[in-house]
Amino acid sequence: MRLLLIGCGVLLRELSDAIVHSPHLIDVQFLPTGLHDSGLKKMREHIQEATDAAEGKGYNAIALGYALCGTGLADVQARSVPLVLPRAHDCITLLMGSREKYKQYFNANPGTYFRSIGWVERADELQDQVVGLGLEGGLEALIEKYGEDSGRYLYEELMSYEHSYSRLTFISTGLEVDDSFRQKAQVEATEKNWKFDEFAGSTTLFHRLLAGDWNDDFLVVPPHHRIVATYDDQIVGAVAIDEPRK
Amino acid sequence: MANLKKLYDAVLNGDAKTAVAVTQEAIAEKLDPAVLISDTMIPAMAEVGRLYECEEYFVPELLLAARAMKGSLTLLRPLLAASGTKPTGKVVIGTVKGDLHDIGKNLVASMLEGGGFEVTDLGADVSPDKFVSSVRELKPDLLCLSALLTVTAPSMRTTIEALKQAGLRESVKVMVGGAPVTPEFAREIGADGYSENASQAVVTARQFCHPDKAA
Repeated sequence: MRLLLIGCGVLLRELSDAIVHSPHLIDVQFLPTGLHDSGLKKMREHIQEATDAAEGKGYNAIALGYALCGTGLADVQARSVPLVLPRAHDCITLLMGSREKYKQYFNANPGTYFRSIGWVERADELQDQVVGLGLEGGLEALIEKYGEDSGRYLYEELMSYEHSYSRLTFISTGLEVDDSFRQKAQVEATEKNWKFDEFAGSTTLFHRLLAGDWNDDFLVVPPHHRIVATYDDQIVGAVAIDEPRK
Repeated sequence: MANLKKLYDAVLNGDAKTAVAVTQEAIAEKLDPAVLISDTMIPAMAEVGRLYECEEYFVPELLLAARAMKGSLTLLRPLLAASGTKPTGKVVIGTVKGDLHDIGKNLVASMLEGGGFEVTDLGADVSPDKFVSSVRELKPDLLCLSALLTVTAPSMRTTIEALKQAGLRESVKVMVGGAPVTPEFAREIGADGYSENASQAVVTARQFCHPDKAA
């Protein structure tokens, strides 16, 4: 089988490991890390553009190394080549290895912020993406642009999400070459005064995505269908492009 | 005499100090607070919304305008209450159960306040029971539900179901929004309205409260 992988930069190592272990011929295109932070519409457009560019190149399927991610994948259409994607809320599901594990952990530990190799080593790139919030340059840039009083106010407001969290969990997948990623996550937790936790994740979903092992944990979107969010345990579904919207 | 153009500009430019100062002058001069809101504050916030829609303003500008507007409203509200002036509509807003994110919800709340609505903010991680009891107690025209995470969006459905079970669904219009929400989902769970951003939320809310005045 010949596959095109379109993947999120934050999952580069996990997806690369899955490429190495796949029996199939795989071409790959990684999109910028944290595309979702720059607006879901942009994320959708980027992914659609990338899938459209793969038309007529002999692929059997296009594998999306993404989760639904808000509605970042919703409405992405399969043209003549099927799309395949994991049934995942966001990349935390992928890193943990199953949607059940994520739901269970989420319910048991509200207010958790997650980190993985990609989220640790690409933290700077993720910051660059939050242009919509104006946080990219930190406090100094806000003060410079809006003045001392307003700049400080904005910084406090925009950083107020930190008060909503009480825990930072590092998800290991076994691909960590050393302990530095976990350590950095732990330092971040200490700095933010959050409890630090570790979760033994898995590369299973990445491997299965690229091995073509697509059972119920994956959605195959047939040609001329689009991805929809289902807001249930299936997370995503496919409907025909010409089917009227509800 | 209080310079209302200055107040309009202060809200538009997010200058809280000037907004408060001009409002104080206007109060001292016994200007009608309801007129001040309808003729100056609401148009200023509508312009803020317009600039956001056409991407001249971003979240920081919205936050600063909302702060300026709130500074002024804090002074005007007691006067409005004393004169018996009715708000555009009464709103109860909150982020649904399991979801602790509130920047988006806060922006919607601020824009609605700026649009002349009386807003009760229940905060984040609000249970269906809490929404139900607030609707029963406060009798709002509108209930606004927010979620940021894909995993918590189904709590919107649960909340609407809880309203139905409590026999309150027909007494209030429900609006939903947030990153995982689509118009299809809004319709499927039986919400009355959906909006893509804080600025549109005001337009939608107005349609529900005063269909004739919707702009």
